Amino acid sequence: MIFLRRQMPLLITLVTGLIFAAQYYVPHPASEQLLTSVTKWLQIIGGFALVLGVSSLFHVHAVKIRRKEAGWGYSVVLYVGMFITIVAGLGYSFNLGQWVSGKEQINGAMTTFGWIYSYMMVPLQGTMFAILAFFIASAAYRSFRARSREAAVLLVAAVIVMMGRVPLGEYVLPLSGDVSQWILNVLNASVRRAILIGVSLGVVALSFKIIFGLERSYLGGGKE
Amino acid sequence: MSFAERMLKIDRRIIFLIIGLCTLLPLLYPVGLPIKISQEVRSVYDYIESLPEESVFLLSLDFDPASKPELHPQAIALLRHAFRKNLRVIVMTLWVSGTGMADQVVSQVAHEMGKASGEGYVFLGWSPGAGSVIINMGQDLYTTFPTDYYGKPTKNLAVLKGVQNLRDVNYAVSLAAGNPGVEAWYLYGKDKYKFELGGGCTGVIAPGLYPLLRSGQINGLIGGLRGAAEYESLINQKGRAIAGMDAQSVTHVAIIVLVMMCNVFYLSMRKASQQQGQARL
Repeated sequence: MIFLRRQMPLLITLVTGLIFAAQYYVPHPASEQLLTSVTKWLQIIGGFALVLGVSSLFHVHAVKIRRKEAGWGYSVVLYVGMFITIVAGLGYSFNLGQWVSGKEQINGAMTTFGWIYSYMMVPLQGTMFAILAFFIASAAYRSFRARSREAAVLLVAAVIVMMGRVPLGEYVLPLSGDVSQWILNVLNASVRRAILIGVSLGVVALSFKIIFGLERSYLGGGKE
Repeated sequence: MSFAERMLKIDRRIIFLIIGLCTLLPLLYPVGLPIKISQEVRSVYDYIESLPEESVFLLSLDFDPASKPELHPQAIALLRHAFRKNLRVIVMTLWVSGTGMADQVVSQVAHEMGKASGEGYVFLGWSPGAGSVIINMGQDLYTTFPTDYYGKPTKNLAVLKGVQNLRDVNYAVSLAAGNPGVEAWYLYGKDKYKFELGGGCTGVIAPGLYPLLRSGQINGLIGGLRGAAEYESLINQKGRAIAGMDAQSVTHVAIIVLVMMCNVFYLSMRKASQQQGQARL
C-alpha cells in the first residue's frame, strides 16, 4: 500500500515530468501525438474537476444548513438557485421540443436557462463589479495619502496615469497622455518583467523539485 | 474637531453620490471629447487591416458578465472590423460563465453584418481545460471541438475549410478579464504554434500585460474602455465605449480631485499637529 501511496505517484511524476519537458523540443509526429492524447486526458480531468467542485460546494452548504450555522439561509438560497439552474440547463424544453443541453438559445428562441443567465447572472455580476467603482473612490479618498516619500511618488504616478487614460485628462493636461504611456511602457513594464522573470525561475525550480520528488506536499498527508 | 478632520471623516455616501452623478450626467449629456489613438490599439487595427480576405481570425472571448462593460464593446468593434474585412471568424471562450454572452455578441454582430453561422463565422463555445484546450486546438481543432456551439459538426463547415489547427490561424485576439486569457494564449498557443497574437483586456489587468507587448509576444493591446473607444474611432463606428468615455473621464477627474482634497486636508492636519508639538516643547 505504501508503494501505491508514495512511490507510485512519485514515479509517475518523474517519468511524465521528464517526458513532457523533453516533448516540447521534439517535433516528431509521435511526440506530437503523445501531446494530443495527454492534453485530451487533461481536458477530461478538467471536466471531472468541475463535477468535484460542484459536489464539494453542495456538501459544504449542506453541513451549514444541517448545523444551522450563521447565514445558513444563504446556503438554502444557493441550493434552490443551483437546483433550478441545473434543471433548467440540463432538462427538456417542452416549448422548444428538445433537450436544452446548457444552451442559452435554441434556434433563436431563449431557453429558461438562457433567461436565468441573461436576466439574473449578467446583471448581478455587472452590478457587483460596478459597485467596485464607488468603493474604490471612497477608499482612495480615505487612504491614498502622501504619508511618505514613496507614497507621494505613487500618488503622483497614479494621478498622471489616471489623467492620461481619459480624453478629459489629456484635454486638461496635454502631456499626461504621453507621460502615462511612458510610465506604463517603461517603468511598469520593466518592473513587471523583473517580477515575471523571478516568478518564472521560481516555477522552474519548483517544477524540478516536484519532478525529482524533493517537493511532495502535493501528495497530501494521510496514513502511510 | 477641525474642518480638515471633519472633511477627512466625510460620510462615504457623499462620495458615492458624487461618483454616481459623475457617471450619470455625462451619459445623459455627452460632450464627445476627441480620443487620441494609442500605438498598441492601432497595431491590432493595422494587423487586421493588413490581412487579405478569407484569412482566418480567431477571437477568444475570455471574460464573464462582470467585465461586460469594458470587453463587450471591444468584442463588438473587433467583430465588426473582421466581418467588414470578410475574414473567416472563429469565436470561442475559455470562460464557461461567458459562453452565453459570447454567443449573444457574435450572433448580434454577425446578423448586423449579414454573416451566416458556418459560412462567415463559427462559434465554438466553451470546452474545459483552459491551457489544455489551446494545446489541443494547436494539435487538432476538430478533436477539441468536434461540433460548434449549436451542435453542427465542425469538420463540414465552410468557414473552417483548410483549417486543421492553430497553425492555420492568421491572427488571434484574446479579450481577457484574467486567467485564462492573453497570457495562456501566448504560453500554450503562440509560443508553440506560431500565429500572430493580439490582446484586449480590462483596465485593471492592462499594466500586467505590458511586458508581453514590449517584448513583441503580443503585437497590440486594447486596454479597457479607453481601448475599446479607440478601436471604435478607428473603425468609424461609434458605440458604447465612446459613449462611456465621457463618464469615465469625469469619474477619473472626480477621483483625482477627491484624492487631492484628502491630501490637502491630511497635510494641513499634520502641519497643525507638528506646530502644536513644537509649541508644547
